Amino acid sequence: MPRIVGTDVPNNKCVWIALTYIHGIGRFSAAKIIKELGIEPEIHAGKLTEDEVSKIAQIIDRDYVVEGQLRRQVSQNIARLRDIGCYRGLRHRRGMPVRGQQTQSNARTRKGKKKTVAGKRGVKELR
Amino acid sequence: MGRSLKKGPFVDEKLMLKVIKQGQLGTKDPIKTWARRCTIVPEFVGYTFLVHNGKMFHKVFVTEEMVGHKLGEFSITRTFRGHSGSK
Repeated sequence: MPRIVGTDVPNNKCVWIALTYIHGIGRFSAAKIIKELGIEPEIHAGKLTEDEVSKIAQIIDRDYVVEGQLRRQVSQNIARLRDIGCYRGLRHRRGMPVRGQQTQSNARTRKGKKKTVAGKRGVKELR
Repeated sequence: MGRSLKKGPFVDEKLMLKVIKQGQLGTKDPIKTWARRCTIVPEFVGYTFLVHNGKMFHKVFVTEEMVGHKLGEFSITRTFRGHSGSK
């Protein structure tokens, strides 16, 4: 029910948790906002008064980068790394892990689904 | 873990001297260097470095956006020519 920053509609959950449905607000910052306003964290989001809702929106506007703006910021940062041709940028371009993780095995999140190679011998056959 | 702020960014002193010298002379010749660990500071912008990667020197032209990165980040050390199966 309460609409805070754009289209977010967190409902029938504790305010504290409901706020984390906003992209860019985690549990830590949600708790901080609630504490600043002195709202009971366990109260359901639907039961907030309009005044409280607008106050929360105000604080988020003031202190946090959220939703579209945050997404844009992140993709801009990645685009910057790609453009300057540094190692991290190269890894982003290739779709490989960026932070020095191993890639001999795993790394499936970045590399995507397994690409099976025909005729490739497994470890067992080599022995 | 990041570097302590107290120390400031690590800058290779000899390299810095070379850049300053070029600044005084007004030239912008490529500077050959092995100092991959050296942070790129605003003074480096506009200069070209030849950064060693263990085997050869990669040409790195420093732009404003590169400030804060290390020189080594722009000179890759690995060669990947693809897997045997994918031709």
